[in-house]
Amino acid sequence: MAKQAKAQATSGGDNFTRWLVIGMVALVVITGVVFSMMSQSTKASASFAALKDYKLTEAVAATVDPAQGSGIVLNPGSKTQIDVWEDPQCPICKLFEDANGSYLDDLVRTKKATVVFHVLSFLGDESVRTANAQFCAADENHYLDFHKAVYLVQPSLENSGFFTNENLLKIGDYVGLNSKSFIDCVNKGSKLDYVKASYDSMPSYKVTGTPTVFINGKLWERKSPDFNLAEFRLAVEAG
Amino acid sequence: MKTLNAKFQPLLTLIFRLVLGGVLVVAGGIKALSPADSAGAVASYKILPTQIAHIFGYALPWLEVAIGILLIIGLSVRFAAITGGIVMVMFIGAIISVWARGILIDCGCFGGGGAIDPSKAAAAHRAYFIEILRDAGLVLSATYLYFFPYGRLGIEKLTPQI
Repeated sequence: MAKQAKAQATSGGDNFTRWLVIGMVALVVITGVVFSMMSQSTKASASFAALKDYKLTEAVAATVDPAQGSGIVLNPGSKTQIDVWEDPQCPICKLFEDANGSYLDDLVRTKKATVVFHVLSFLGDESVRTANAQFCAADENHYLDFHKAVYLVQPSLENSGFFTNENLLKIGDYVGLNSKSFIDCVNKGSKLDYVKASYDSMPSYKVTGTPTVFINGKLWERKSPDFNLAEFRLAVEAG
Repeated sequence: MKTLNAKFQPLLTLIFRLVLGGVLVVAGGIKALSPADSAGAVASYKILPTQIAHIFGYALPWLEVAIGILLIIGLSVRFAAITGGIVMVMFIGAIISVWARGILIDCGCFGGGGAIDPSKAAAAHRAYFIEILRDAGLVLSATYLYFFPYGRLGIEKLTPQI
């Protein structure tokens, strides 16, 4: 004990070594942060590569229905109606989209079902911006394209600074949405009222998280641990 | 007690160095290899503003690795023990904070992280409890190393008194 105490008194004597060690630790940490941030931002810009060969699909008329929680209604009037509640930044929504997105698109295009997308934005500012852009895309009758593209590039980190208006317009550019009205709508935040109305309608539909899916008004509860198309298709066909 | 400690102190110091250092190197190493997960895990505590949380999440793993290595090789043990101890106290505070606010997350202590399904609330709370105990044990190790930094197999030796 005495020896240790004495050592304590003298270990400060070698100030150089101590500062050297502290400096080295600081260097390691700073290098690590710079390295990590750079690898993140390269990954984010590389994600646009996923859109390189994207072809704009046929326009699908979309309307926003204030009576249905300001959802984006595609192919109205069908016997089957599917309501999908999602936040553009939610990683599990991406899994749902990866598994069932094309099937939903098909249902709309072949007029087999009405699909209502409720664009939520509870994950922060970047969700609000992205939701606004999605409503803008609906105005251009290309909601499905933009919706798909957002999930194709969705970064694994929420609110990492990726979903800026600039990048949203870049996504639009890649998929072929570059009309003046779309660009203005994104930049001006023209649809923020819908974004808010959609968010505010959550309690009245008892939606507490995303993705939440209703088939003909009935909550769809998935049984399998992962989203799989077969299970979802069965549920939709059962109505 | 005193004589017992005197007898085993160099060995105990070595053991605590390896325990604390080993945990830090493993935990930090796993997280350093997947920076996005680490940044997301820190953000999910909802203590810091998101962007700052991300930077913190990038930095933390490297700090853990650096001080873990210092502890294992036995260099600047006192400095490393203080830093490691502060980090552990911070973890305990953060876990108590999310528990108190009713947030359900994976602590992301050894990689991973993020929100947990509400249906697993009981398991999550048990995990919080175990994590707090574990980190408290590591704080005790760090405290011991603060008082007795010199032991077996360390690069740094007692400076001879002249």
